[in-house]
Amino acid sequence: MNKVWIIMFLMGIACYGIDSIFGIGNTSGKGFTDGLLTSCEEGVYFVIGLAGVMGLWSGFMNIARGSGLIHALAEKCRGLMKALFPEEKDEDTLMLMLMGFTANIFGAGNSATVFSLQAMKRLDEENGESPLASNTMCMFASVNMSMLQLVPITVIQVRANAGSASAEDIILPSIIAGAASTLASIMVCKWAEHRAVRLKMPGSLHYKSARGAWTGGNDSEISDSDVSSIKKKAV
Amino acid sequence: MNQILNTVSAMFIPALLTIILVHGFVRKVNVYNLFLEGCKEGLTTAVEIMPFIIAVFAAITVMTDSGALSWIEKACEPVFKLLGMPSELTSFMIMRPISGSGTLVIVESIAEQYGPDSFICRCASVIMGSSETLLYAVAVYFGATSVKNMRHTVPAGLAGYIVGIWLSLILCRVM
Repeated sequence: MNKVWIIMFLMGIACYGIDSIFGIGNTSGKGFTDGLLTSCEEGVYFVIGLAGVMGLWSGFMNIARGSGLIHALAEKCRGLMKALFPEEKDEDTLMLMLMGFTANIFGAGNSATVFSLQAMKRLDEENGESPLASNTMCMFASVNMSMLQLVPITVIQVRANAGSASAEDIILPSIIAGAASTLASIMVCKWAEHRAVRLKMPGSLHYKSARGAWTGGNDSEISDSDVSSIKKKAV
Repeated sequence: MNQILNTVSAMFIPALLTIILVHGFVRKVNVYNLFLEGCKEGLTTAVEIMPFIIAVFAAITVMTDSGALSWIEKACEPVFKLLGMPSELTSFMIMRPISGSGTLVIVESIAEQYGPDSFICRCASVIMGSSETLLYAVAVYFGATSVKNMRHTVPAGLAGYIVGIWLSLILCRVM
């Protein structure tokens, strides 16, 4: 993230410079600084808009936790969630992830963001705030990003506004393509998990034991130093 | 069929809230206090993620406003052509994983230029409906954590996106 962020900024500034010298006209026309300031403002508005939804959903999730509803639902969905996230034990986190998926499917974008963010924060804690993403985090993020949506309402609106004869006839193909993309993401994740185990890469489920058996050394010491070296690189 | 899906979508949140409230009432827990407690937790999270959101918004704006994205589009065009993607959709396909509002503007202009029921616009709509703002979501999700190495997240998400595009194009041809 560190490098990507720097590159994005420098690339943008460089392009802006080239554009203003040669007058190519690729820029949006707004001044560079103005655009940047507006985007920061938008970021704050976005969070404030989200804060209300976040409070609301966290409140309702807390009710469901207190009344035992989460526990009951988690029991019911155990099979599905176990298949996707075999390493995840915490019921509340599993439930947040499931809610994130469902909200996404039903097109409740803001609520989905809220559930997902809270799930990610919990996963981060469970992962020991390690700089290396856990299998569960990778699977959750990539599945969530390619989740299908039942009714893509904004696109339908755009088509309807443009005078489409049947604005809604994209629903079925969207669902099929969305389901296929979700499946593809799951498959790539599962493949990458197995590959990590096979190649004894850091972060794999059996990394510690595999690494320990491999070197014959003290596995916890090795993985600790490994994590700290990754930390150093990242900083 | 479409009507049913629409109704189900619209009913999702009200139904969920009803279930939670009724369940809480039946189990005789203090629903109101639990709500306030959870709400406070949620607001704390919102404040915590604010810096990451600003960082992501600023970086994306710099990329799109400065025209850096148009350069990337130009660079990608031959590759897209090679893969048999309609060249009218290049900028749309590159924008889609980055910015939701940006993509919507492109879809609007495509609908105007080619007509809302044209092949190009139908493709764009189906791709839009079957995918997410992938890179933006990654930045926001992982921004809230201490993860520096996201391992296979982005490749897996992109693989899903590419499969989605490919299938969208095929489905628009046949359906």
